[in-house]
Amino acid sequence: MSVTKLNMVKALNLALLQEMERDPAVLILGEDVGVDGGVFRVTDDLQRKFGSQRVIDSPLAEAAIIGTAVGMALYGLKPVCEIQFSGFAFQCFHQIENHAARYRLRSQGRFHCQMVIRMPYGGGVRALEHHTESEEQFYAHVPGLKMVIPSGPRTARALLTSAIRDPDPVVFFESKALYHAAKEEVPADPEALPIGRAQVVREGRDLTLIAYGAMLRVAREAADVLQAEDRVETEVVDLLTIAPLDRETIVTSVAKTGRAVVVHEAPRSFGPGAEVAASIMEGAFLHLEAPVRRVTANDVSFVGFAREKAHVPDVARVAAAARETLAF
Amino acid sequence: MAVMTYREALNLALREEMRRDPRVFVMGEEVGLYEGAYKVTQGLLKEFGPRRVVDTPIAESGFTGIGIGAAMLGLRPVVEMMTFNFALLALDQIVNSAAKMYYMSGGQFNVPIVIRGPGGPAAQLAAQHSQSMETYFYHVPGLKVVRPTTPMDAKGLLKSAIRDPNPVIFIEAETLYPVKGEVPEDPDFVIPLGRAVVRREGTDVTVIAYMGMMYRAIEVADELAKEGISVELVDPRTLRPMDVETIIGSVRKTHRVVVVEAGAGFAGMGSEISAFVTEHAFDDLDAPVERVTGANAPMPYARNLEKLKTPTKDKIAAAIRRVCNANGS
Repeated sequence: MSVTKLNMVKALNLALLQEMERDPAVLILGEDVGVDGGVFRVTDDLQRKFGSQRVIDSPLAEAAIIGTAVGMALYGLKPVCEIQFSGFAFQCFHQIENHAARYRLRSQGRFHCQMVIRMPYGGGVRALEHHTESEEQFYAHVPGLKMVIPSGPRTARALLTSAIRDPDPVVFFESKALYHAAKEEVPADPEALPIGRAQVVREGRDLTLIAYGAMLRVAREAADVLQAEDRVETEVVDLLTIAPLDRETIVTSVAKTGRAVVVHEAPRSFGPGAEVAASIMEGAFLHLEAPVRRVTANDVSFVGFAREKAHVPDVARVAAAARETLAF
Repeated sequence: MAVMTYREALNLALREEMRRDPRVFVMGEEVGLYEGAYKVTQGLLKEFGPRRVVDTPIAESGFTGIGIGAAMLGLRPVVEMMTFNFALLALDQIVNSAAKMYYMSGGQFNVPIVIRGPGGPAAQLAAQHSQSMETYFYHVPGLKVVRPTTPMDAKGLLKSAIRDPNPVIFIEAETLYPVKGEVPEDPDFVIPLGRAVVRREGTDVTVIAYMGMMYRAIEVADELAKEGISVELVDPRTLRPMDVETIIGSVRKTHRVVVVEAGAGFAGMGSEISAFVTEHAFDDLDAPVERVTGANAPMPYARNLEKLKTPTKDKIAAAIRRVCNANGS
């Protein structure tokens, strides 16, 4: 199987291209996705290939983008919507929560919404607050939605492919910090990864680090530091899907290591880390040697970029929390 | 003390604060001439006139935005959502403007607004009128989130919310409006935000709940007392910021925790409490923290399904028995 080295933007573009070639019902809509190919170029060249009926430039109207897509999905199309930044999605949250997420239940299965809502999220790019936040907990809360966050080019491509094929609405977050951060080998043939499945990306027996999205790289680097400086063998779990959460993989790992630290760049209170910690409590209480630690952004609005490094978890903070957990 | 309904307690709080402070005004759909969809604003138009009791079009984003602007310029708006599900239409205003303005303006503008209305399980009001909407607000930095259980709390907490210099989400409940209780008539009576209350002392297990689930937990606690299980009932009252100290204090005494909430639960109150109890009181725990949550589904309309959606007394009792039997000490 041939492979190419792609960054995350190109990998996402490849998933869109191949799914649009495979299935004529798949289409794209959003602000600047067509002529401009998206603010981050994820939809680059797709309008030229598929025409303006399948790659639709919308007005600046997030609620209209999602509302239109819900209507399209009810009639059998498979829209992939782009919201330019996740901070703008509060404008369309009622369409997502009240309609996209509920049609299957409300219509007792007569209608469903096969649609993907893609949004760039997260910090690390020195942008202002609406453009840097992590709002995954809003969507993970909503019954009827799936919430996916890939951690690199290959998982991004494979999970976007699965999201487009999923019969129900999927909210798909893409870390801006990862868009151009690194290239990975990506198979040329279509590849899909199951939604709802976490991956153990590094095996270890002393401690479990749980992360996703841009924080996975931070967790892996912290694991390297702990290996080199403390001779600690860290297991690293990449969640990939926030909801439904793969509790089995998390609990199995913590049952083995007895210690866990969860890392995310969303604010701490009521965040995904709380859900992970509570799930460990329920599933592996008697295996725990230490309390589960959360390393997260502070409980404030996303800070101005001069203070960004003090706000988003870094390797030093993750390693420090890991050492406290190991010393407990 | 006077005995009054939850609805009357809220009305009294609004009336007293409007008399005390001319900057306080009420705005929302049907709050004036119709006196509120649930009559919480009854008599206010007559007493304070149309400049201070403002009927709006059906446009949540619009009137919430107006309220935020009024608050930035020094007024004290109390905005009513006819039901709190509709606040999603104003979510961008609430999250991106109300919650952040103080921070983004470097402290130049604070936003003393209260956004209030009913939310949570009711009686066959279905998925767009009875979801537990606090879940969309309690992880937003810059917001406070209040859910009052009793008429006394409704009055004391609403008055504190109106006097608070920052935005407060204040979610009531359709099913509690007619509930009666003792309420202090003193216009200076307030209950501080961010403080939990121990509703009943006990020694074996801490049960944390609010509003409808607290009333259900009280019934369960009465039944379990006959089996010799002594339940301590803690009502957080303010969900953000949560009163960690009171909850941890109770856990250090009972060593067992059950959290009951009507919402779907993912990264909810139970998750947060479980996480911080583990962080602060790991060695005190004799059993895993149990969560009893609503089903992970939209609120159904059908009465039989609606009953199954929220935690039943049987489920609450089973969770309490489980943690009491899981003797890790």
